[in-house]
Amino acid sequence: MSDKSKPKNLLPFWPHYVLSELIAWYVILGILVTLAAFLPAGLEDRANPLLTPEHVKPEWYFLSVYQFLKVAAVFSFLGADAPRLLGIVIPGIAMAALFFLPFLDRGPKRPARQRPRMLIILVSVLVILIGLTLWGQYS
Amino acid sequence: MTQSTRAFPRRWFDATMDWFDERIALRQLIAASLHVVIPRRAHTYYLGGITLFLFASQAVTGILLSLYYQPTPESAYNSILYIMNQVNFGWLMRSVHAWGANLMIIFCVLHLLRVAVQGAYKKPREITWMVGMGLLFITLGFGFTGYLLPWDQRAFWATTVGTEIASAVPLVGEAIRDFLRAGADVSALTLSRFLGVHMLILPASLVGLLLVHLLIIHQQGLADPHATEEQ
Repeated sequence: MSDKSKPKNLLPFWPHYVLSELIAWYVILGILVTLAAFLPAGLEDRANPLLTPEHVKPEWYFLSVYQFLKVAAVFSFLGADAPRLLGIVIPGIAMAALFFLPFLDRGPKRPARQRPRMLIILVSVLVILIGLTLWGQYS
Repeated sequence: MTQSTRAFPRRWFDATMDWFDERIALRQLIAASLHVVIPRRAHTYYLGGITLFLFASQAVTGILLSLYYQPTPESAYNSILYIMNQVNFGWLMRSVHAWGANLMIIFCVLHLLRVAVQGAYKKPREITWMVGMGLLFITLGFGFTGYLLPWDQRAFWATTVGTEIASAVPLVGEAIRDFLRAGADVSALTLSRFLGVHMLILPASLVGLLLVHLLIIHQQGLADPHATEEQ
């Protein structure tokens, strides 16, 4: 925290911020218990390695990568190995780019409106991810 | 005695604090950790804190579930049935654990988006961002390993296709897949491997990285989203 900041622009962490954070936690606890009470965790038949179900899918948070791997078949014109290779390498590069984001986007500007390019990239990636997830879910 | 009885709890509290103060400078410790200021314009939307709360909830419900869960293909499924039908509030603990897992991933991502949109990852907060990415990967690992444990059809086949994704990695893909499965197929070994990772390796890693994450945030203070340059 800069010493030059005027006190009027600052808010005490305790108790102001902590109190509102606790209220947020309380709301989340309510949502959690409500969801658990009305939609309890299910259980399918006991695992049977010899019986493959019709629609096998990974968890929803891996569905976009899984679907991308399937969609990557379009790269087959680049050679027989290309679909599988690009299907995993492209998400891998995207992940690495996200990890090193502070070093890729080094501009000093912070407010979102002054970084329209970054905002467009973010929204596009988000739309692609949600699109792939829904595609994977309903295909 | 001139002191009123109302002063008693306060005096008692002060005496306790003094006792600790003399030994570990407790008041100084509390002041250093809580008496900080944040920019009034910094809107966190409480997303990181909510993720932290969800982790705490996962820890509590997870520990309770571990008291009844049996990690072998023969008995895992029945122990889940037992938790759902026989254990007092077992159904609630498992359902909160399952929902909490999904919400934790959602709030991790929302927290990431908030930081990305506000540009809060920029210098000098690069390390916080990368540690945060590590925390996201660990959270995804929690979800992946935990999903197998009920040992039902959905769990078994989701893990089968999930580990199959890894085999697409060039050169070492199939080795990674077999390492994750502890063999060519999802088996009893996979189950104990996933449980060990889920209950020991990932929690320890998450707590360690979380402390680094929070320590750096405490050290630097929150980013002012409207400030272009940081002094």
